[in-house]
Amino acid sequence: MTTQPAEHNPVINQGSMADTPDGQLPVGLTLPDGEALLSVRNLKKVYQTDGGGIEAVRNLTFDLPKGELTCLVGPSGSGKTTLLKAISGLLEPTAGEVKLGGKLVTSPPKNMAVVFQEYGRSLYPWMRVRENVELPLKVQGMDKAQRDKVVDDALEAVGLDHVPRSYPWQLSGGMQQRVAIARAVAYQPEVLLMDEPFAAVDAQTRADLEDLVRRVWRQLGVTILFVTHDIDESVYLGSRVVILSSSPTVIQQDIKIDLPDERDQLETRSSQRFSELRHHVYEQIQLAKEGFRPDAAKAQA
Amino acid sequence: MRFLKDFFHIIALPALLIVAWIVWSSQSTSFFVPTLEQMSNAFSSTWTWNRMQSDVFPSVARLIAGLVLSIVIGIVVGLLVGSFRWLRQLMEPTMEFFRAIPPTVLIPVFMLLIGIGDDMKIAVIVLGAVWPILLNTIEGVRSMDEVLSDTSHTYRIDGIARIRYLILPSAMPQIMAGIRQSLSIALILMVISEMFASSAGLGYTIIQFQRSFAIPEMWSGIVVLGLIGVIMSFIFQIVERSVLKWYHGQREMENAG
Repeated sequence: MTTQPAEHNPVINQGSMADTPDGQLPVGLTLPDGEALLSVRNLKKVYQTDGGGIEAVRNLTFDLPKGELTCLVGPSGSGKTTLLKAISGLLEPTAGEVKLGGKLVTSPPKNMAVVFQEYGRSLYPWMRVRENVELPLKVQGMDKAQRDKVVDDALEAVGLDHVPRSYPWQLSGGMQQRVAIARAVAYQPEVLLMDEPFAAVDAQTRADLEDLVRRVWRQLGVTILFVTHDIDESVYLGSRVVILSSSPTVIQQDIKIDLPDERDQLETRSSQRFSELRHHVYEQIQLAKEGFRPDAAKAQA
Repeated sequence: MRFLKDFFHIIALPALLIVAWIVWSSQSTSFFVPTLEQMSNAFSSTWTWNRMQSDVFPSVARLIAGLVLSIVIGIVVGLLVGSFRWLRQLMEPTMEFFRAIPPTVLIPVFMLLIGIGDDMKIAVIVLGAVWPILLNTIEGVRSMDEVLSDTSHTYRIDGIARIRYLILPSAMPQIMAGIRQSLSIALILMVISEMFASSAGLGYTIIQFQRSFAIPEMWSGIVVLGLIGVIMSFIFQIVERSVLKWYHGQREMENAG
């Protein structure tokens, strides 16, 4: 890997080198077969356009252990959304595979929920808040009594039990994103994917929502993959941060966030360890922006 | 106070037009411009309950039947054509061809094929009124928000549920715009369909008056037509406001913010 100052080095997840067609590509943390809840292997996505192919994602390999909150951070345009869409089964990868619980993902799996950045466009504007949260369960065929209970619990968990009869567009951006999170929670997924969910809300609301995600994660024991371009956010939220290179995307580094489990916006963010980790991630992102390629560095070594 | 003001706004222009007509008709000696007195006499003697039952209600019933059929066909075919690209490519040239044919020129053909009964008249109405609904539905389905579509996929809202909870409501603003256009087309075609080989109906009655130089009666028939149009548009507005409550609310919110 790259040369880092010896002291305060973050813990770098030791990924086993997967057998890739290109030989030794940098990979994220991988687990032995059967241990990972979600596994991404040699994922590649090339968009076909009139002007030739555009390689959004070159080669990504990593695993998500059950119950972990992993943050994916990368410079803008690093194919984060492409990756997320491929993982959620919305987009067919050009090569490679995604497996959830050992099963190949080809269409959106039952035990996965996604929270998108554009809250204004991911909620049904013709339905009230409660109906929005309820709909996936209704379509699934859950009976009314159970549905009511699950929806009530979900709305309460995100602090929205007072507005079930409002329409989403009557709420602030932060509140709308809470509705989207409540819908995901009510769906009771094993894996929750979040695609820059707080990029469009103001800073204070954002801090509240970050704590909400941590709380939901710890209460429900759900596995979360949280995509963001915000370095502070990734370090504050995650138990692990996967840093992506610039496009065409490979994994630049996969680090463990050894901050205490109890996190607090004030205490955690002003701690020594937080700034070290933040510094490290920031440095890596800078490298990525300048065009440093871990795959090229490997080839030279 | 607010109510009075609104009422004044609604009533002002019609009142002004009636006054202008009274002034004009009192000066005019033309045979074709009846006075207020002639008109009101003609109106009350012509549009009796009997005539309503024999000429107006059957016409309105055909109008409603034609509109309902247009709405059902327009939405169902629009959903299908809007959802599948290959179907759109397959249908587009043919649809443009049939859309370009004025339904009125097909009336003689329809008379031969379907006969001269209600079926033919309803078919003429549908043939003209279906297009705005059909084309708007196709557009509405195609302009589906991508994020909303992805969201529905990830929650596995597919098949019938997808149409019911996602595609139909999301296309509803366009569908309603199409229906609005179809209302006036249907009314025009209702009248025209009764001008050929008919012995009853609102359009038939008006033409008969015209041909027998019963000018005040003819005008009164035209007023009845206008009133039907106003009532239709009024009912449509009420329905539209309740169906698209979310849409207008959201638009207001966006404009305010």
